[in-house]
Amino acid sequence: MSKPTLLLIDDEDRILRSLRMLFFVGYNVRTTTEPGEAIRILREEKVHVIMSDQRMPQMQGSELLRIARETSPATMRILLTGYSDLDASIASVNEGEVFRYLMKPWNAEDVKKVVAEAAAIAEASFAVQSHAEPATETAKPRVLIMDHDEATAKTVHETLGDRCEIVWASDAQHAMEELAKQDVSVVVSDLMLGETNVGYILKTIKQLNPQTQCIVVTSFNDTSRLIELINQAQITRFLPKPVSKGILARNLESMLERFHLVRSQPALQKRQSVEPISNAQERVQAGNFIGMLGKLRARIGV
Amino acid sequence: MNNLNPPGESIFSLVIPIEALSPDVPLEEVAEQFADPRNARLLSLPVVENGRPIGVISRYQFMNIYLKLYARELYGKRPLRGFINNTPLLVELGQPLAEAAQHVAANMQFPLTEDFIVTRHGRYLGIGFVMDLLKAMEVQMRANTAELEQAYSQLKSSQLALVQSEKMASLGQMVAGVAHEINTPLGYVQNNVAIGQELFAQMQGVLGTYETLIDQLLDGNTNEEQLAAQMQIAAAMRNDASMQEMRGEMNGLMADSLYGIEQISGLVHDLKNFSRMDAAANDLANPNDCIESALNIGRNVLKDKVEVVKDLAQLPEIMCAPSQLNQVFLNLFTNAAQAMETPGKLLIKSWHDSDNIYIGVSDNGKGIPPDIISRIFDPFFTTKPVGEGTGLGLAISHQIIQQHGGSIRVESRPGEGTSFHISLPLSGDAKSNASALAALA
Repeated sequence: MSKPTLLLIDDEDRILRSLRMLFFVGYNVRTTTEPGEAIRILREEKVHVIMSDQRMPQMQGSELLRIARETSPATMRILLTGYSDLDASIASVNEGEVFRYLMKPWNAEDVKKVVAEAAAIAEASFAVQSHAEPATETAKPRVLIMDHDEATAKTVHETLGDRCEIVWASDAQHAMEELAKQDVSVVVSDLMLGETNVGYILKTIKQLNPQTQCIVVTSFNDTSRLIELINQAQITRFLPKPVSKGILARNLESMLERFHLVRSQPALQKRQSVEPISNAQERVQAGNFIGMLGKLRARIGV
Repeated sequence: MNNLNPPGESIFSLVIPIEALSPDVPLEEVAEQFADPRNARLLSLPVVENGRPIGVISRYQFMNIYLKLYARELYGKRPLRGFINNTPLLVELGQPLAEAAQHVAANMQFPLTEDFIVTRHGRYLGIGFVMDLLKAMEVQMRANTAELEQAYSQLKSSQLALVQSEKMASLGQMVAGVAHEINTPLGYVQNNVAIGQELFAQMQGVLGTYETLIDQLLDGNTNEEQLAAQMQIAAAMRNDASMQEMRGEMNGLMADSLYGIEQISGLVHDLKNFSRMDAAANDLANPNDCIESALNIGRNVLKDKVEVVKDLAQLPEIMCAPSQLNQVFLNLFTNAAQAMETPGKLLIKSWHDSDNIYIGVSDNGKGIPPDIISRIFDPFFTTKPVGEGTGLGLAISHQIIQQHGGSIRVESRPGEGTSFHISLPLSGDAKSNASALAALA
């Protein structure tokens, strides 16, 4: 098998030279400082992984990755940036739909691991036709709402009420009971549910069922938490509150569609695989959550 | 503040419910009333008709009449009506204390001969002593003053906190910008070292193979097969293309790393220069250096967006607070960058005459609308969304320049751009202000 292709974009040549040396043994490495050139390469060649800087004079990395998503959907997208600003990280989720958001300076071994994983996933998804017929569904898709905001629940009901079973969880315990009954297709969640930080629940849900699509609607503007949720929960949308009804409705539709696609093409599941949870407390919480979920399921007989 | 002393209540506490006289009583009745020891403290007696006060008769006035020879015989039976002062001091119960006191003070006569009459909705309620009213007023004023003082000290400390938060906000922005700039060279330097480490490990392996080979060659006891096998291992390593490439590139990576470390040192140096943590707050400095320092720190905000054109004349050093001038310039530069919706130009000029140093900072951004330009130096005035600016940047800049004995003014044309003109005195003032600057630092 030929080497997978890795496309690197950064406005600093020295970064490109350095990364090329890190990867040239296992990969066909292409580097450029010009986003335009990167788009040309994506169009003409089979690229497994694209890893881009965020702040570049001609184009933001998140914008380049959005174009990459349209030009070459099977290519895995990674952002490598030294600047953790909120707008960039939101754009990288919503537009770039990045697999990982990595920070400069990076750990060579970690980046190698991420790129290797991404390359393997890309190889598998090249084989999948992106617009396969949705399989005939057996069960109604379920949407789990973890947000005390009534406006959110109302929009979800109005948008998906006719097609989905909708569950509005008032607290972590309730959410767990619902998850024990049956997997969910789409989660719409704030980051705080009353006093509970639900980050660990989102991370656990994605570990339990990679098909689940997560939309975060929140007024919390914490870039480092968002980056964690990208890498460890693969949230697919981050919508800052107040979010307009139209935007939430549109994203709900596209995430439901995404869920159907991923379910019909299990090879695509891996594209949203997650990193292990880094926060020690959250790891414990997630462990307890899974343990209790298992007991509940055994009792219900799922 | 009124809630300390609710209006009606404070006057109510002063009311003395005296039975009023009818205007029809004879004057000798008044004599009896004044002679009554229970009324000893009263300066005057109220006169009321149909429930409404129509006047007063004061002890003073009464005596003027009654002390005359045969006055008792002449006037004793006459009705009181003809002898009263029909413009009494009136205070309505619901009136604020301050207003009542003001009214009484303005209309009372010297020597003080009358008490005031309190009415409720115009009807007689009782009388009050003028001295009590003035005393109550004084107590209230004292309370108000204390309250004002407290409010003032609260305001002062919250203003201090705000100035501090503005300082922290601009510092945070600056540090975030520089951190990003450091992350890039740090990224490749760290990676290059990791690659170097790996290459070094491989080279050690190669060296070991060669050493073994040489040892075997020098050792007479090695047989042909052993030697051939070892040579094969060495040859395979020799032909390992990837290692060849890494060796070829490593020089370049080392040079890059040195360059990166230089970049990082430069940035750290800029930070140190800007904050001047290790230097005296007040020092002789060249304002051009402050401009350069602010440009270095603001580079991250300015690059990709602003073309900086400098026209800096040779300047003499002045006694100043360099870190504060740095702050002023950084504030002006970042404001300019934020005013540009498309990439634009920033022109920085400096020159001097025998009295002053002049600095001009002009941009071709969107300009400042005429209706707000007079307010841009006001504390808390901001055009940025809530939470994004404290509205103190220019106010603090203005204060800093003033404390240097200089001036800062603005000129702007919407759609064309904005210019700030700063002048700083060459000597004298700046020196005498050194102590004031030290207080600010």
